[in-house]
Amino acid sequence: MKIFKFFVSKIFLRKVIPSISVILLICMSNYITYIAARTVISTFQGYQETRGLNQEGNFIANLDPNSVADFGAIEAKGTQKVYDYLNSHFDYAFYVDGFMVSIPNSYDMEISLCYMNESYYAANQFELLQGTDLMFDFPLGEDKEIPVLIGKGLSETYPVGSLINIDDPALNQAITLKVQGVLKGNEYHSNFYALNSKSYYIFSIFVPVNEEFINHANLGLQVNGLMDIVVLQTTEEKILDLSEVIQDTLGLKFNFFSQQDNYEYFNEYYFHSLKIVAVVSLILLLMITCLSVWNALVSIRLMLKDLTINLLVGLSYSKLRKIFYSYFGIVFLINLVIVFSFTAMNRYGCWLRKDATFSTYGLFGLIGMDWLALLFVVVSDIVIGIIVVEIMLRKIKKVPISLGVLQ
Amino acid sequence: MVNLKKSLFRLTDVLELCIAYTFCFSLNLTFDYVKTVDLESYILKSFFENFLDYQLQIVILSTFIVIVFHYQMLYRKKTEVFCKILVGDTGLNITARYSLDCLTILVFVYLLSTLVSVYLNLSLTGNLFLPLIFAVYILISARQVRKYEDI
Repeated sequence: MKIFKFFVSKIFLRKVIPSISVILLICMSNYITYIAARTVISTFQGYQETRGLNQEGNFIANLDPNSVADFGAIEAKGTQKVYDYLNSHFDYAFYVDGFMVSIPNSYDMEISLCYMNESYYAANQFELLQGTDLMFDFPLGEDKEIPVLIGKGLSETYPVGSLINIDDPALNQAITLKVQGVLKGNEYHSNFYALNSKSYYIFSIFVPVNEEFINHANLGLQVNGLMDIVVLQTTEEKILDLSEVIQDTLGLKFNFFSQQDNYEYFNEYYFHSLKIVAVVSLILLLMITCLSVWNALVSIRLMLKDLTINLLVGLSYSKLRKIFYSYFGIVFLINLVIVFSFTAMNRYGCWLRKDATFSTYGLFGLIGMDWLALLFVVVSDIVIGIIVVEIMLRKIKKVPISLGVLQ
Repeated sequence: MVNLKKSLFRLTDVLELCIAYTFCFSLNLTFDYVKTVDLESYILKSFFENFLDYQLQIVILSTFIVIVFHYQMLYRKKTEVFCKILVGDTGLNITARYSLDCLTILVFVYLLSTLVSVYLNLSLTGNLFLPLIFAVYILISARQVRKYEDI
């Protein structure tokens, strides 16, 4: 320990510039590894989430990006006709979010209402912290209560059994919601077309919808519901008929993608993007590792005299190796703390900005995928550390002790 | 390009400085280039945003390797500076030659980066701040040469 302290204070830190440079380089490599790892983990989580709905016989709707959509021309009568057709011929998973309401809560967050039907809820299997699962068989009416699930962030203000009065933006009327359960921690929803982007349900209310609810809802909910609708357990012929009905009634051209189409899309789009992310990160990491090696060799040039004097008076190479590894261990720890603080600040920033969609709970502010990404950073640090230290030692061993002292 | 006969620079030093400058310029150019690419993939867009949001900070931090180069080079050349003065050279001349050599390498790399910018249709002003930063580094390190006059 004494010799280590001596080396750090009298040799390494006396050459301030190479020491700072090594910290900066490792910081850059940690940031790259962290971002790349988090992108991959987040995409993988999104991919896992879609697997619940992306089953054989299911078809996911998507508005044809090449078609011209005139939303102004859509009438309630038309959407009603489409939903009547859907209800009579298909089972489908319906999900719409983004309708915001302001209700009092401990964190002054805007609350997002997530409307979902029974099939969507069953396919996603949300975990609950308290209470019971959603019920979809409820009557609508001013004096009736709609059973809902809420995010963990709302559970302090609205415990299970409490009532919430809101002006529902989808029904355009005042309704009463009864809290039936609280969702577990950081439950999230990934966009079908951007699997690495997530909306967290901490400040959301799950509103169950059934046929009656959709029939009474405004055009906004009905049209939005069609955008990502998933038609379950059907055939290609039937789906073509549905596509025609929608086009004839609403003038919107929808594509319905089967499981095979989706897998092909995933392979082509996501895995290709992830490959690019991996290649770019690897190139950057290689460049930074080369620069770190160069920086280490520069440090050796500057410290050669001190090091060889210590070797002359009895310091062994194995002891020197231990000192180097301990020193780089401390440098890596400093950088891990920097990356950790940066992430924690970003996560905490969402709470400060009152960004309800991205606010999350976690150990020291970091959620599961952040910790996993940090683990990747530790692994990459170990690899870089071994490369740099071994090259440094090889360089030192190459120089005869007498020559080193003379320098 | 650089007259190595009287210079403090050796070929490896020239190469090292060229690589350090090239790294900083190419990093900035890569950022500028990625900004112009119309990325269809959301994954790639959000991945690169993590870096593009901090472009200036990352590029400025990367210039630290140039500081390391100047620092270690002059530290190694302590004795050479002293010996040159012993045989009749002056501190001023050594400093001027050192600064000119650094500036020549900087101009060479900057012109190369400008050519690449033109080829890629990037803004020519995007890289301008880097030569200014490097010029400041050269001026500061040139002062260091004078310190070795009387070791």
